[in-house]
This record gives sequence, C-alpha cells and structure tokens, in this order.
Amino acid sequence: MYTKDELFQAISTVIDPEVGFNLVEMGLIYDASCDEEGNVKVVMTLSTKACPMHQMILQWVKEAVEKLPNVKSADVEVVWEPQWNISMADENVKKALGA
Amino acid sequence: MVKISQDFAPPFKLIAPFFLIGSLFYFFASVYLFSFDAANLSFVNPDMIAFTHLFLLGFVMMVIFGAMAQLVPVVLEVGHFGVELFYAIWPLLLTGTLLMVLGFLYFPALLPYGGVTVLISMLIFVGEIFLTIFKVKKLTLVMSSLLISNTFLFFGIIFGLLMALSYAGTISLDIASLLKAHVYAVLGGYIAITIMGLSIVLVPMFTLSHSFSLKPLKISLIMMSAAVVSVVISSFFKIDILAYIGYALAAVSMVVYFYLIYIIYSTRPRKENDIYAVSLMFSYISMLVSIVIVVFYFLTQKEEFLLASMWLLFFGFFAFLITGHIYKIIPFLVWFEKFSPLVGKQKVPMLADMVPYKSSQAQFVFCAVGVVLITIAILTKGDAFLHAGASFLFIGTLAFIRNVFYMINFKA
Repeated sequence: MYTKDELFQAISTVIDPEVGFNLVEMGLIYDASCDEEGNVKVVMTLSTKACPMHQMILQWVKEAVEKLPNVKSADVEVVWEPQWNISMADENVKKALGA
Repeated sequence: MVKISQDFAPPFKLIAPFFLIGSLFYFFASVYLFSFDAANLSFVNPDMIAFTHLFLLGFVMMVIFGAMAQLVPVVLEVGHFGVELFYAIWPLLLTGTLLMVLGFLYFPALLPYGGVTVLISMLIFVGEIFLTIFKVKKLTLVMSSLLISNTFLFFGIIFGLLMALSYAGTISLDIASLLKAHVYAVLGGYIAITIMGLSIVLVPMFTLSHSFSLKPLKISLIMMSAAVVSVVISSFFKIDILAYIGYALAAVSMVVYFYLIYIIYSTRPRKENDIYAVSLMFSYISMLVSIVIVVFYFLTQKEEFLLASMWLLFFGFFAFLITGHIYKIIPFLVWFEKFSPLVGKQKVPMLADMVPYKSSQAQFVFCAVGVVLITIAILTKGDAFLHAGASFLFIGTLAFIRNVFYMINFKA
C-alpha cells in the first residue's frame, strides 16, 4: 500500500528534540513496510540504549505512520543490531554535530 | 519491544526542589567564601568544616539525590520501590544541613540533631535505592556501581554521625581516626563511584558515543572500592601503610577512569562544544590538576597543597560536573512535562533552546575564573585573590540560580 520511501517520508516529521534532526536524517530508521491491509512495521534503533526519550520517540513514530490514510496499525520494533553510528546519518547531521 | 524506562520516571515537582535548593546552597557557599582569611585557612577550622558541609550536603548531595531520583529508573529499567519517599528526603536533608552548619559555626549542641536528621534523610535514600536495585534480576556494571556507592554512603554517614556526637560532647571518640574514614567513604566511596557509574551512562548518551569497552570502568571501580576499604581500615587500626596504599589506589583508579572518559570523548560523534561539553571539560581538567597538587602535598606535607587540591575537587570537579549535567537534565524534565504532549500538534522547542545561551556562558566563565583565582589564593595565601575569586563565583553562582529558574519556568 505504501512504499518504504513514503513511510520514511512520514516518519521524517519526527524530530529528536535533543539533537534537533529528524529520525530519518539521523539514520535511526532501518526499515519500514506496509502490507495490503494497511498494517505497518517499522524497524528502528536509538542513538543510545539508555535514552530517556525512548517511549516518546516510539510513540511519535507510531503516530506519524498511523496518520497516513488507510493505515490500520503500526508496530515499531527497536533493534540494536546493527548498532547505530554517525556514518548512518546524512551529511547535514554529521556537519551540525561536528563529526 | 524493548522495555520503556520513562514509564517509571518520577514527576518533575518531586525532583525540582532538589535542583532549586541545591543551586541556592551553591550560591550560599560562594557568599561564604568572603568570610575566609587566606592566611588562616585550615581543615580543623570550624568555619571550614561548616563550609564543607554547606557545599557537600547542601549542593552536591542535594543535586545528586535529585538526579538519582530521575536516573535510577532509566539506568535500572525498573520503577522506584517508593518514589514518594523522595518527598521526605529533601526537607530532611535541607533541615539537617542547616542544623549542622549552624552547629559547626555557633552551637555545637545542634550537631547531633543535624547529624541525625541528615542520617535519616540519607538512610531513606540508601534504603530506597537498595530496594529498587533488588527489583532488578541481573545486575550490570553500572547497577553494581550504584550498589557499592550506596553501601559506602551508609557507612560514611554512620561515621559522620559518630563524629557529630563526639564533636558535640555527647560521646567520646577519636574524631581524627573517624574523619579519614568519613571523608573517604563519602567522597571516594559514594560521590566518586556514583559519578563513575552514572557518567558512563550520561556522557555517551549526550555525546552519542558507542563501542567502547567497560573494562576500564570495572578496574576503576574495584580500585576505588579497595582504596576506600584500605583507608577506613587504616584509620581505625592506625596502620599508616594501608592509608598510603589507599591513596595510591584511589589516584590510579581516577587515572583509569579518565582514560575511559578520554576514549569516550575522542571517539564521540557529537563534537559541538555546548555548555555541557565545556563544563565537563573544565571539571575533568580540575580533577587532573587536583591529583597533581595532592602529590605535592604528599611530597611536602604543606596543608595549602591539600586545601588547593580539595578546593579544585569540590568547586572545580564536582561543581562543574553537576552544573553541566543540570543544563541537560532540567531542560529534558521540563520539556517532557510541558512540551512532549504537544509534539505533532504544534511547534515545540528543542532542548537546546531551553538553555539560556549567554547567561550560561557567563556563568561558566565567572565560575571558572573564580575557581582559578581561589586556587591561586590558597597556594599563595593571598587575600586579594581570595576576594576577587569569591566575587567572580558570587556572580557566576547567581547566574546559575537565574538559569535554573529560567529553565524550570521556560515558556516557548
């Protein structure tokens, strides 16, 4: 129903308030898919395991996807492999963080 | 789905008093500096003992307890055993600190009351943390550090209470032998080990560092624990060699810890030097200089070196480490409470927007200059440097209070 790019586009409205960039730019979203019935599955990671915003960020991703027309449900899975590193972020993020 | 730590976070109204009161004590400690005479600084002076407790109990302990209320659930991924207990901790710690300071300055009879009040406050804290840790099935290295540090705090406050009773004349004990045990159990055992454990969570979190080995932390924790036990035993059984072994172990432990911090910093993706980063850099440099100066003390036995080393440890290392973290912790807590429900509905500020840029820079510069000038004052016994440094710190700590209020009351 939705392509990976379309789902990434929706998730890119979610901004990490600590770093100031959206999750897609930061390279935190690993995969997103949608089946014919409108069930979305997002696979993502976080920049650190002890992130105190963990709950909120997952909720925002879920809400961003569920806002799309005809999406019935969204499941957000957090994985730690592969581990996130700055090379996964886009050039703007790297530049802003001084990496 | 991974367990979500924020479910267990305490409300901000519970934590805010710790930070507000702590900031006020930091300011009062800077005002207190004007009363000292650079030529007569000494550890046995009651004014100095009162000052030390005003700073350590009122500022350092108060802020650490508040931060722990927030961070323990994040680190342990379980809820507090009894988070409401924190509502009792800050009033007791505040009252106990004031009674102790007044006791040291004017009325020694107040000391047992102050000591017992602080003891109750800390026992509630230690008990709550222990019971929370016991909810965790498998201990990590960071959790173990909390367990070890709180065990040392338990013994440290017992030694402190015995000293307070003895100082007030209620019981008769050798204060000198208890002093070393008290200082080491609290400073090395509690504050240093807590900082080591938590900073390995916080510093990588804020700098986005990854993939570093925790082996240096393990070595550092073992060495610091052995150092504290060694000094405590030496002070009770008068075995000098154990004390020197303890000092050496503590110094090596700190060096190993700094090696790990250096690794984290040198591999950090986030290289922007915000107020958090520069505050931490100043704190770590202060600690290293403090270690160098204490070596001069052991070589010369001149008290001014020990005083300067302790000054840099307290107002250089502890204070800048704490203020740096406050610039991260308060915006997060306020943001979480005020702005997170508005995400997706309206434009919300970033955490960095909630830190007053110019005022925080001014606070850093004034406090840093104050710390350096007073270090010179202690080493040269120069009153002009002391009063100049106190003046800088007065303005810096005043700016800090202003910044704390600004962040707590931030409006978009």
